[in-house]
Amino acid sequence: MGECLERPRAACSLGGALVTLANLPDVVPIIHTSGGCGGNLSAAIAFGAGYLGDGYCNGRASPTTAVSETEVVFGGTDRLTEQIRATLELMDGKLYVVATGCMTEMIGDDVGGVVGEFRDGGAPILAVSTPSFKGDSYHGYDIVLDGIFNKYLPRAERKNPKLVNLFGLVPGYDPFFRGDLAEVKRLLAGLGLTANTFFTPDQTFANITSAPGAALNIVLSRVWGVETARNFEEKHGTPFWVTDLPIGPEATDAFLKEAAERFGLDAGESIESGNREFYGYFARGADLFCDGDLKRYAVTVTNSTYALPLSRYLSAELGWVVTDSFVTDKLTDAQQEALADGAFPIQFLTGTQEIARALKNNHPDGRGQRYFDDISPLYIAGSTLEKRTAAARGANYLGVSFPLYDRIVTDRGYAGYRGGLHLFEDLIGQIMSVKS
Amino acid sequence: MAKKIKQIAIYGKGGIGKSTTTSNLTAALSRQGYKVMQFGCDPKADSTNTLRDGSYIPTVLDTLREKGSVNAHDVIFEGFNGIYCVEAGGPAPGVGCAGRGIITAVELFKQQKVFDELDIDFVIYDVLGDVVCGGFAMPIREGIAKHVFTVSSGDFMSIYASNNLFKGIKKYSNSGGALLGGIIANSINQGYSREIVDDFAERTKTRIIQYVPRSITVTQSELKGKTTIEAAPDSEQAKVYTQLAERIAAHEESEVPNPLELDELRAWAATWSDRLLQLETGVVVGGAQAGI
Repeated sequence: MGECLERPRAACSLGGALVTLANLPDVVPIIHTSGGCGGNLSAAIAFGAGYLGDGYCNGRASPTTAVSETEVVFGGTDRLTEQIRATLELMDGKLYVVATGCMTEMIGDDVGGVVGEFRDGGAPILAVSTPSFKGDSYHGYDIVLDGIFNKYLPRAERKNPKLVNLFGLVPGYDPFFRGDLAEVKRLLAGLGLTANTFFTPDQTFANITSAPGAALNIVLSRVWGVETARNFEEKHGTPFWVTDLPIGPEATDAFLKEAAERFGLDAGESIESGNREFYGYFARGADLFCDGDLKRYAVTVTNSTYALPLSRYLSAELGWVVTDSFVTDKLTDAQQEALADGAFPIQFLTGTQEIARALKNNHPDGRGQRYFDDISPLYIAGSTLEKRTAAARGANYLGVSFPLYDRIVTDRGYAGYRGGLHLFEDLIGQIMSVKS
Repeated sequence: MAKKIKQIAIYGKGGIGKSTTTSNLTAALSRQGYKVMQFGCDPKADSTNTLRDGSYIPTVLDTLREKGSVNAHDVIFEGFNGIYCVEAGGPAPGVGCAGRGIITAVELFKQQKVFDELDIDFVIYDVLGDVVCGGFAMPIREGIAKHVFTVSSGDFMSIYASNNLFKGIKKYSNSGGALLGGIIANSINQGYSREIVDDFAERTKTRIIQYVPRSITVTQSELKGKTTIEAAPDSEQAKVYTQLAERIAAHEESEVPNPLELDELRAWAATWSDRLLQLETGVVVGGAQAGI
């Protein structure tokens, strides 16, 4: 029997490519597929990822070939040529990326040939192959980065020994990507390192072009961005370090220590000031936390990037008991193995109903017996799709993963010392929001 | 009430004589007094050439590309004996999607209800080669053609293509698709090739509707840009095509074929390979009769 796709937690690879391109500075997408794909995929993110919205010449304002029956039958390369020419003329960009969809990939349009001609004519343009059958949005992120960094950009003449690139957080599908990247950048700056985040508003196209000169790539996900970093090492000779996104002081201390070690630096001062700041605030909230008896059982429903860092934070920083960590992105067996941690019971499920059912099976309702509810009081940190599941179980809930449409996210992030405080605020704030 | 239009699709491996057979069938049906349309479903767009003195006609898809929309009547051209000739056409080799092109062209005719307007008795679809994708299966899907005939020689690759077609027919047979009328055994001169086709028909529980011998008359006629029916109406070959037309006109009941699995097909071919080798080396008597 076929799998039922229910309230999906990712769009297709073109969707991932478009949100990635939409958040890169001075990069203009050109979508080569049927009319409708660009708009629908962009809307999913503009509204479904903490109201991320669109930017200049991207999202729902993206140029598209909008091919129809004539192009499907006779090939769409003439239409693509026309669209590229018009886009180069009308839209200001420093890099133009043609992203394909199913339709033009099915009919086998020679997109590389068309784009090659423009490139030969001096246009800054490349093509990426992103039909849905190549995977979901997370793959689209990697395909775009691999295209720009490993196929388009030339090798750097010399390396900058204090420069790092940050990969692994997928715009939108990691709703706090900007806040998290900004905090990791700030932490590394404390060690004397400069980080290219590529996706925060302070970044310019120069950050993209400087990337090949980086001394290290840090991949903040055990799954996404890893392939890009591996190919990056092959082309540019930059080694990479796959690590978890650090959330809260314990994880951030370890992150800084290892980062410093890799550069022969000392993290002592950064760690000390970070802890002073974190606990300076946190200690004031501890009265409420302890006196209010705000201990909780916790269930996390996130993508593979956030699952372990979030579960670890809840357990190590708050002392909560994480009973279930649901990972919702589609992973291969090898990728699932990369998440094996032992500390947290990870379950790989995507469907909202499936997750609710698994939760029910793992922890049956009380059936009228006073002490039967073994995970109460419960806190569910997941996507907005988990809001109903939480309400049905009488659990507290905080939206932390995609799709996230019950809160707006701007520079909010949960990484690092400052992110750890934000997460504490948001988690406990939800519990206290019943007060009037 | 409109009369019942008989829609027939002719499939077979490329180069096997499919368009030749189809055009002669169409011409023979027309000679018998039926109103016939031949619908070429091949991007090469040369199915109807011998019905029009070797000339090419503008295709449905070329017209669609140029004008954006197509009135079906603009792409119907009259051929020999008033036969309606249509070519679906398609993209240049190596670009676009020829399969989608066939779907587009066939759907356009279906939507515009042209067959009823023209009071047609037979629509014969001449479809290219292998059924490589859904587009080329279009004429046998969703109640377009009702009967399918495959043109096959005794050549293994031709039989392989026919077997693939049988698989396609079987797949769509539950959802109102066309059923198999039988095999038109083409270029059958040598005894063994007839035996091979007969054996294949028996194994797949289908029948041979006509044996068409290889004939120089066909080649001579084609070189004149004509069907044998037109160029040599009194020839023996014309009689064969006329008989084929009579049989197809009388044909009512088609069936779900029983295609061989790939392993079975290979095993079956291997037994024939051994038999032919034995015939050639004289182990088995009967080489002369077998036509070797």
